[in-house]
Amino acid sequence: MITGLVLLASGAAAGVFGSLLGLGGGVLIVPLLTLGFGLPLRESVSVSLVSVIVTSSAGASVYLRKHVANLRLGMVLELFSASGALVGGLIAFMLSEQVLAGLFTVLLLWMALSMLRRSDRPAAAPSDAASAPDDPPARPSFTDTLAGPGYRVHRLPLGMAGSTLAGLVSALLGVGGGIIKVPAMHVAMGVPLKVATATSNMMIGITATSSAVIYLLRGQIDPFVAGPTAVGVFAGATLGSRIAHRVDTRLLRWLFVAVLLYTAFEMAQKALGR
Amino acid sequence: MSGAPLASLSAVAATAARLETIAARLLTWGTRVALLFVLAGVIGMATSGIDPMAAGAFPPYSLTAIPGQLAALRPEGFIWAGLTVLVSLPLGRVIVSGAGFLAAHDRRLALVSVLVLLVICASVVAAISLEG
Repeated sequence: MITGLVLLASGAAAGVFGSLLGLGGGVLIVPLLTLGFGLPLRESVSVSLVSVIVTSSAGASVYLRKHVANLRLGMVLELFSASGALVGGLIAFMLSEQVLAGLFTVLLLWMALSMLRRSDRPAAAPSDAASAPDDPPARPSFTDTLAGPGYRVHRLPLGMAGSTLAGLVSALLGVGGGIIKVPAMHVAMGVPLKVATATSNMMIGITATSSAVIYLLRGQIDPFVAGPTAVGVFAGATLGSRIAHRVDTRLLRWLFVAVLLYTAFEMAQKALGR
Repeated sequence: MSGAPLASLSAVAATAARLETIAARLLTWGTRVALLFVLAGVIGMATSGIDPMAAGAFPPYSLTAIPGQLAALRPEGFIWAGLTVLVSLPLGRVIVSGAGFLAAHDRRLALVSVLVLLVICASVVAAISLEG
């Protein structure tokens, strides 16, 4: 019973942190379950995918209601992220725990680097200029129909490639893949950052479902671990979104970078079999 | 510039906005229902003294066994029911959106919805065949 409560509290902590830092929480849950509770990495990934679906569904409902997420663009890109997740979900069963731990170490280091770069960046990203609206086209193409208020979509193939990669990474490592999708949409496709974040959040649900189904039907999801973790993540993410405006995220970001680097070190040890 | 393409783009945007509202409602209520089931299962775990980290195999997932587990008030039944609803939610969103795009004669987006569902079906088939 105590362990169930600890799982719930850990999920809540991951949810609060994830929400404050704009992450799905998967990148925190997998190391937490693997290093903190000693669960096999593949089982941690499966539990994390369930939590990712919780945060995506809860977040997407708000973003869609407020019309921040771009449903049309998201549906086109999620076809590619779901395909990537299908492949990743199958590959995950062929890779050893050590290889998965090695890949997770790379992901953690990449995220730490991204967080550091984000903290150095001024409030308005220079690439936001790329999303300035152009003149409406005389004969709209398919890509033109994916545009939103005040912006057009560019370089759709790049977004498709990024989404496929995000799906692959999501299924292999139990994360949402927003770390790939958001830059792909914002930087490569010229979608405003707020819309890219909201659309990525919506897409994550389908991406995680593609691989979660594989884990579920192959008996890799432990209901007694997934249940408390999912409830905790939801409660934490809800709390995080309510206190976000009161918290100094710069300090939190530095703390998070330190946690990521420490976790990367521990994961690397696991990858090396130590 | 002709008015027709602009009108068609605004019609596309209006359809998308309507579908976004419907999808939002589905996700809101679906998440609530799913989490209520999971929460009931977690409370059941606590009252039954189940230790999630105890050694031994955990109860396997079986869609057909869930009604029986629910009737017997077994915690895993509630959690599996919640997780089933949860995993179905993004699919429900795609089905609702696809039907809406089809009704609005937006065949390309309706086709995209069908393809997304086919990828999920492929995941199910792959999981079952690998299991066998």
